Amino acid sequence: MKGLLTTPLFWLALTLVVFEGADQISRRSGRHPLCHPVLLATPVLIGLLLLTRTSYATYWSGTQALSFLLGPAVVGLAVPVWAQRDLIRRLALPIGLALMAGAITAVVSAVGVLALFGAPHEILASIAPRATTTPVAMAVAQQLGGVPALAAVIVLIAGVIGAMTATPLFNAMKMTDYRARGLAVGVSAHGFGAARAFQVDSTAGAFASLGMALNAVATATLLSVLALLL
Amino acid sequence: MTMIGAIALLLFCQLAGEVIHRLTGLPLPGAVIGLMLLLTWLTLVPKERPTLKAVTGWLTAHLSIMFVPAAVGLIDEGGPLSRYGVGILAATAVSTLLTMVVTALVFRWAVKRFGPPEPQPDAVEEAAS
Repeated sequence: MKGLLTTPLFWLALTLVVFEGADQISRRSGRHPLCHPVLLATPVLIGLLLLTRTSYATYWSGTQALSFLLGPAVVGLAVPVWAQRDLIRRLALPIGLALMAGAITAVVSAVGVLALFGAPHEILASIAPRATTTPVAMAVAQQLGGVPALAAVIVLIAGVIGAMTATPLFNAMKMTDYRARGLAVGVSAHGFGAARAFQVDSTAGAFASLGMALNAVATATLLSVLALLL
Repeated sequence: MTMIGAIALLLFCQLAGEVIHRLTGLPLPGAVIGLMLLLTWLTLVPKERPTLKAVTGWLTAHLSIMFVPAAVGLIDEGGPLSRYGVGILAATAVSTLLTMVVTALVFRWAVKRFGPPEPQPDAVEEAAS
């Protein structure tokens, strides 16, 4: 029986079961950002690994097949961008300028504040891509010498914060243009922001998903250039 | 395009991205280069591709479970988390809010300065579709 805990099948099956349970809770909460299935499932799985004294390497060997799908999923982000080509053409300059400003702000402010706490390079590299969608953040963090797991969790936290604060923040700013609101929440809080934006307004949702996809490319490019220069 | 064709296109773009990544030494991840290659391909050969749309839609809808294995890797990051957890939370919160403010303000300013006026009702319809 003991050998079962080290088979790939066991951990893959368990991950799916735990995730499905977490997803049920998330659905019942009306998709509240704090009940995101990854936020619920991850601590449970970590607990199970600790309880069974299983190493992360064993867990990873069983579940990396799931992780592999992230690559084609990232490539596939080109499809929604292409679908919004008319929007991009019509508003190329405002979208481009806002995207650049947002991407730079996200990187500089995140790394800047964390540096004040004296964090070492690998932690700073993990937070630098925090505004991109999770798979891109993980890949970029790895390229920069960061920790993909940390990058994934930081991106999730950013998503929760963005999704919960966007509406009150923009109302306080008297920002009435739903194109600006959507784009901003997509650039800053990726998929979480887009999901939230679609709940508020369909124009905001379209701009948010555009902001998310474009910022994945913008931030990755920005950080690559920085990495080459520094 | 068939289902297999769509998956092959995605994997091929990623593979080509990986090749470019290795040849140029660019720190851009292969998958992100693959995204740009696919976007270039879609622009050069513009037509509707319902199967590709279905496959990428399915992948995007199930992104969450794909990064669970990586997130569980936090199990080995207890040290840095306990030492810099507060800093990470603070930096993430500041950066997330500031980025939303800056992006929205720059967009509003640039639309006034360069762009077309507020969307017409039909433009809203179009954006939603």
